[in-house]
Formats: sequence, C-alpha cells, structure tokens
Amino acid sequence: MNPHYCCLSRNFSAALPPLLPVQLPSRMETHLWYVVPDEVKSAPLLSKYMELLPQYERDHVLGFRGDQLQKSALLARTLVRTTIARYQVDDHLDPRSLRFKRNIHGKPEVEWETKDGFCPPPLQFNISHTSSLVACGVTMNSLIGIDVEEKRRRTKNNILAFAKRYFTAHEVEHLNAIPDSELQQQEFIKLWTLKEAYVKALGKGFSSSPFNTFTIRASSGIAVETLDSPQNLTNNWQFALLELMGSHYVAICLERQETGGAGKALPIKLTARKTIPFVEDELVSGTNAVVTIGGSVTQF
Amino acid sequence: MAAASASSFIPLKPRPTPRVKLGAPQSFSFRRPALAPARLRISCVAKPETVEKVAKVVKKQLALPAETLVTGDSKFAALGADSLDTVEIVMGLEEEFDISVEEDSAQSIATVQDAADLIEELVRKKCA
Repeated sequence: MNPHYCCLSRNFSAALPPLLPVQLPSRMETHLWYVVPDEVKSAPLLSKYMELLPQYERDHVLGFRGDQLQKSALLARTLVRTTIARYQVDDHLDPRSLRFKRNIHGKPEVEWETKDGFCPPPLQFNISHTSSLVACGVTMNSLIGIDVEEKRRRTKNNILAFAKRYFTAHEVEHLNAIPDSELQQQEFIKLWTLKEAYVKALGKGFSSSPFNTFTIRASSGIAVETLDSPQNLTNNWQFALLELMGSHYVAICLERQETGGAGKALPIKLTARKTIPFVEDELVSGTNAVVTIGGSVTQF
Repeated sequence: MAAASASSFIPLKPRPTPRVKLGAPQSFSFRRPALAPARLRISCVAKPETVEKVAKVVKKQLALPAETLVTGDSKFAALGADSLDTVEIVMGLEEEFDISVEEDSAQSIATVQDAADLIEELVRKKCA
C-alpha cells in the first residue's frame, strides 16, 4: 500500500492542509497545472475533493458512468477550483467559494464577487481531461485553449477517411504524406489537439469554427490559417505543443499579446506544475516530463 | 454505474437517472444542429428504433458492454465520449443511416436523443 495513504487518512479526518499559494502569471506567462488520476488513490482525499464542490457540480460528477469517469470529472473540477484559489485573488479565496458562469457562447469563466474597490483580475483559464490526465492552463489576459490526449489514442475509423471528412485538404495532404502508420496516427492526434485548443481558445463554441474551416500548419512553428482569408496567416494566435511524461500530447493556444521586433512573436513563457491538490506540488517545466515538440516555448 | 460499496471512491449514493445541471466543461455549443441536404433514398425509421440504433453505435464507439443502459436522455459525455468520440459516433451514424451530417452539427450533439432527432429530420426529408 502506498505509504502516503496512511498519512492522508489521518490528516484528512479534519480539515485539509492549506494550498500552496502561487503568484499570478505575468502578462507574458502561461501556467500549466496537471493531475495524473492514477496517482490519486486515497478515497478519503477524493471525498474531501467532493466536499469542495457545490451541489450542482457534485451532481454533474456523479452523472458520469462509472468510477473512472467520475474520478476524472471530479479531479477536473477540483483542479480548476484549487488552481484558481492558489492565486489568492481577493486574499482568502477558498476553492469552495469560487463561482463559475458561462459567456454568451458557453465558455466557462470565473464569476468574481462584485465588491467595492475590488477589481477582478483578467484571469483566463481552460481545462481539458482524459481518463489518464487532467490539465488546466492559466494566463492573465490572454485567451487560452488547451487540449490533452494520450499519444496512443486510436481512432475507430481510418485516419485518412476521418481527416477527409473533417479536416482541410492541406491537413489531409500532410497526413497522407506520412508513410509510417504509427507516425501518421501520432500526427493525427497532434493535429486534433491543436485544432481543439484553437477552438477552445476562441471560446465561441465548435459550431462557429468547424474543423474544416481552418488549417493548422506545423512546418516551421505552428500557425493557423482560416479558409476565408487564406493568404493571411491569422497572427492573433500562437501555439505550443508539448509531450507530457512521454505519454500525452498537450496543445496550448494563446491569444498573442505582444510581439518582438518586426512583428515577430515572442516565445510562450511556460511554467508547468504537476499537482495532487493539498498533498504535493512539483515544478516540472524544464525537466524531461515536459518536452516542447512544437511552437516557440521557453520553460521556467 | 458506481457502486456505493466500502471500496468505492465516492461514498455518496449515485443517482440512478442523473440530471446534469452544469453542462460538461468541454461542451460549449447550445445551438440546434443545422440540416444537411438529403440524399435520394427512401427509408423511413420509427422513433424507438432510431434511438436504439444510435445507442448501438454509441456503445460500439465507446466500447461499452452490450447490456449498458443507454436511453434518449443519455449524454455522450456522461458515457465517456470526448469530442473525438462524438465526431466518430456521428461518422458511424452517417454510415448506419446513410445520411450526411453537417460538420458543425457533429460537435453540438450532446445526447442520444439529439442524435436521434437529427437523424429523424434528415430521414423525414428523404421520405417527403
């Protein structure tokens, strides 16, 4: 049995220990937080996480079929609440007290308390989860979309048939040109996560940007090109593609805030932390747990 | 369904017919799917059969045991479908019903009933 388990069941009979507070990201920074569900085994801890959620979110978690799906849904809500709480906006922010709302297109946002003299920070976040990884990206000001996927993910349909149906001609061509089927599968997953991240960053819902209306070009750097302005690479968005723990792809799409000289984009400044909320936090950026495989990224 | 046993990680009693109040974090679009142009082939399908066929395609995509209870109310996300699964399910439905679903509709289907309703409308157009 994991030795951690005994300590946790003793500690969690009462209140949870405090969350490690963290400074808000600067305008140029992106924070990536993630949880590996398989590493969170303590039933008392998971119960405590459940207690952080308001009733409607508990109902939502319990609406998933089966323990594994419920667990990753629970960890997704826990991760977003505890992560935002760490930034200590408004001094004593309890993960329980955070409220969320959706913008007119349905994208989740924090609903900050309206108080005299309190100016809510322009904190942006986005979550993504699979059964094996739950991730949350945070920025100040910059719209963000993230998507995570297992490298080994297989489609039920043939990749090229799928791509012809849903991707753009250029993307089909790119995939078709890959002779090795394993590599082709991985390229497909990378493309999928990048496209998802872009649509999630836009925050207008998938209906507003069907996948076959924009191309992700990933030759030198990563860029998006919308079909209605093909000569105009959409410079508003920058991308990062990471390989996490050797097992997952993480795609991040950010609204470009500033450029360097001659309109050149500055690299994304990324800080990545693996966490089990209330138990441990580990800075992993710059280690081989987080490998940049696309886009211009500086890890801190 | 999660069992309320001592070994279950969630000690709270699971709901038999879950009503999700907050939409799944990854589903943003609430728009009704648009219709695709119908093909020239006559085949009318009754409602319960449509739901049943949709359920079969969903179970196959998500590798759920055949006896899994999937009804019109069942949300794809709650069954474990992520956005890639949802798109693959729509591809499966296109094959099953010989229809064509618009790309943006694929991402906005949330429940089995949504899919069945859309299919019924597309098939009705063919029968008209």
